[in-house]
Amino acid sequence: MALLELTNVHTYYGQIHALKGISLTVDQGEIVTLIGSNGAGKSTTLRTISGLLTPRQGQVTLAGRRIDRVPPHTIVNLGISQSPEGRRIFPRLTVLENLEMGAYIHSTHSPEFRADLDRVMTLFPRLRERVKQKGGTLSGGEQQMLAIGRALMARPKVLLLDEPSMGLAPVIVEQIFDIIKDINQQGTTILLVEQNALMALAIAHRGYVLQSGKIVLEDTAASLQSNEMVQKAYLGLD
Amino acid sequence: MVVQATTGSGHLVGQRSIKTILLEIFGPLLQVLMFVLGSATILSLIVILFAFVLRGSRTDIDLLQGTLIILPQVIIDGMVRGFLFATIALGYTMVYGVLEFINFAHGEIFMVGAFVGAGFGLSLAQQRMLADFPPLLFVVLAILLGMIVSGVLAMLTERIAYRPLRNAPRLVPLISAIGMSLFLQDLVRMIALATGMGFNVRFQTPPLGGSLPLGQIPIGGDRFASFSIDSRALIFIVAAIIMLIGLNYLINVTRLGKAIRAVAQDRATASLMGINVNRIIALTFLIGGALGGAAGVLFGIRVGTINPYVGFLPGLKAFTAAVLGGIGNITGAMVGGIVLGFLEAFVASYLSLFTRGQFAGANYADIAAFSILILILIFRPSGLLGEATTQKV
Ligand SMILES: Nc1ncnc2c1ncn2[C@@H]1O[C@H](COP(=O)(O)OP(=O)(O)OP(=O)(O)O)[C@@H](O)[C@H]1O
Ligand SMILES: [Mg+2]
Repeated sequence: MALLELTNVHTYYGQIHALKGISLTVDQGEIVTLIGSNGAGKSTTLRTISGLLTPRQGQVTLAGRRIDRVPPHTIVNLGISQSPEGRRIFPRLTVLENLEMGAYIHSTHSPEFRADLDRVMTLFPRLRERVKQKGGTLSGGEQQMLAIGRALMARPKVLLLDEPSMGLAPVIVEQIFDIIKDINQQGTTILLVEQNALMALAIAHRGYVLQSGKIVLEDTAASLQSNEMVQKAYLGLD
Repeated sequence: MVVQATTGSGHLVGQRSIKTILLEIFGPLLQVLMFVLGSATILSLIVILFAFVLRGSRTDIDLLQGTLIILPQVIIDGMVRGFLFATIALGYTMVYGVLEFINFAHGEIFMVGAFVGAGFGLSLAQQRMLADFPPLLFVVLAILLGMIVSGVLAMLTERIAYRPLRNAPRLVPLISAIGMSLFLQDLVRMIALATGMGFNVRFQTPPLGGSLPLGQIPIGGDRFASFSIDSRALIFIVAAIIMLIGLNYLINVTRLGKAIRAVAQDRATASLMGINVNRIIALTFLIGGALGGAAGVLFGIRVGTINPYVGFLPGLKAFTAAVLGGIGNITGAMVGGIVLGFLEAFVASYLSLFTRGQFAGANYADIAAFSILILILIFRPSGLLGEATTQKV
């Protein structure tokens, strides 16, 4: 049984039909990537999984349990965290306070909290020097690190990452992808949404290609990398 | 309360010492204190200057002496008004912080607090226990009762009148709040009349003591004016300061306070942290309502007689104070309240003195308050403390 499964999910924004029957699975321990051009519905898919949007049809299950009518804060408790599109750091909370909010569902007085904090600081040493800085004053790359770190603080079973490479310098992007791989190897299942298909497919096990709210292709990352249509449309190769 | 993590190399990470925590609690309060001193000093200098300039034009009284004699009382009055506006303004600003919505029924939440306190005094009086009741205990119990009832009431209004409209166009909940305000006025009036309290209700308390002499100031020659603080004013100021300390602790140090700030900054993302946004909003109303209720009790004790419409003007002025400080900004609400309170007190006392009573001050104080609202809206829409965006909740 898949850890996370979407079956024929339809999500709307008012009249706008954004997801038109999405079905996908993410197995325990995998990195699965969701690629597609602007407006394809990638973020909408993640928002639907996190409970920010309620699908009008279809279902979402986590380890067999239906979660498509569950409110977002409960979904975090069930083991899904998201680092949202655009990072969405709390600008007037400090780095430490942002991380504390990430650990909201746990006690911040426990030894586990300290261990989690330490793990995030070890993954992102830059955050260590900036614990007292306000989130809004961090650079884009630092904010991205904080957003991923914050999502990790909940100790999720499944981590949803929405475009972690957006707007970052190539060196930083490489660092971030290395860290994503590390996080996965430390046991967290990851669903990764990316514009940067090249990098995403390099670290993912499997991938889905999304177009106008529909999945048009799914395969192992290796096959997708060599797929002609993917190469043309998303990898910029001819 | 120390949160720390040690790394392999032994560095402390994210340490929060007692010192930081104290700073988080008293930092904003220090800012408020500075505004208290600043407002008092500047306004005092202004009236003394006026007195100097106008002295020649008057033969009936020595204007400078007259100015100095009432000055200490005016400053104390300014502080009382200031803390009144500050405690009420916090309710507006906190709710605005999380919902970007002006809860126009907040003045009535305040009024209900005053009625709860008065009801408590009345029921003690009916049992002939009031006269011998320990005064301090009475004040504490009345405030606690007012806080509980007003807090729960504020939470209920949110649940009933605002939450169902959360996704409606912005004007709709505003109308609902105005409706709620009128409803509460008439509901309290009905209850007060039905229970025999009457329309104008006397706020009975055990004897709270008279005035405490504070000192003397020279007013020219070898004459001195002694000044004192009314015990009710003292109670007001002390209670308000305790509440502001409590609120700063709650907002800046506790997990709940951080969650409130997170919700205020980004509601959707807060829910992605596992924060139950509806519960946090309800708790924000509870806290703001409780502060308003406490302010109502203190107000009732101070003025002695209340009616179901006493919430309107203080509510509107506290809203002005919140805007003055930058709506959504908690320290700003306190500062705005203080500044407005001082301005009002000075206008109320000195306008009449300087114009030979032609402008009997108390009514003109309202004009001063609302002129300020208009001026701020025009010239400094983000409030005294500058960019609301950098200082919000
Ligand atoms: N809040 C909204 N209201 C209305 N329509 C929306 C809203 N958010 C997204 N949409 C629409 O839904 C569709 C899918 O948007 P989504 O944000 O999921 O795209 P995406 O694949 O994440 O794109 P990008 O790569 O640009 O982030 C788009 O057509 C978009 O215009
Ligand atoms: Mg997107």
